[in-house]
Amino acid sequence: MIEALAYVVIALAGVAVIWGLVTAVANKPPGKAQLLFAAGVEIVTVVQSIIAAAKLVAGARPVELATTIAYLIGIVILIPIAWLWANVERSRFSGIVLAVAALGVLAMTIRLLVLWAPAP
Amino acid sequence: MTGVPTQPAGSEVRSTNRGAGRALVAVYGIFALAATARASVQLLTKFEQAPLAYLLSALAGVIYIVATITLARGTHTSRRIALIAIIIELVGVVSVGTLSVLYPEAFPRATVWSTYGIGYGFVPLILPIVGLAWLWHTRAS
Repeated sequence: MIEALAYVVIALAGVAVIWGLVTAVANKPPGKAQLLFAAGVEIVTVVQSIIAAAKLVAGARPVELATTIAYLIGIVILIPIAWLWANVERSRFSGIVLAVAALGVLAMTIRLLVLWAPAP
Repeated sequence: MTGVPTQPAGSEVRSTNRGAGRALVAVYGIFALAATARASVQLLTKFEQAPLAYLLSALAGVIYIVATITLARGTHTSRRIALIAIIIELVGVVSVGTLSVLYPEAFPRATVWSTYGIGYGFVPLILPIVGLAWLWHTRAS
């Protein structure tokens, strides 16, 4: 895991949360730009998880290894699942679905930052 | 409201997976994932530290999974299973929340439901109430 990249994920996911809520309030389904942005967040998240996995293989040991692995997998699967679920029935609630997934990615990334500190 | 889908003629039950139900399922899905992953890690790596708390975490995870799947399916049968699961969820979060406040020594490690879900912004307390309200809202007319 790269700390700077984690902050990028947090910022991008935060924008995705707000964007999803804004389209929901405006009573619109997510637009193409919004869906592409979500895909972009996903790509950065995947890069982060791959780098973290490589570091774990190379011997990095966060405080809670099992939890860290679970979170690294969790952050990559949330947005694709939400994307599919949001597109089956496109309405204002599709935006909320994307916002919920992005909030999950945001929270898990913050938790990963804490976990990644080296074990004392 | 344009967000509410039209129902086919003859449909008595409004499906739980339509409209706002899609957002509810998403939140349940997050909790299913979070609680199950957390419980799995706890049970596999440090069961002996707090068996009660970790078994309750696992129970919470299973209930969230059942609620997510049944609300997402939205059939007549799945509604009834969802209702049972969400009632257990409400009883669970209220009783575990209360017990963890009164007897903190019995819960040396946090569960999803400790102190009414304070670690998850009290969403575990609000979620079953919203779930029951949604089942009521989409009941057969």
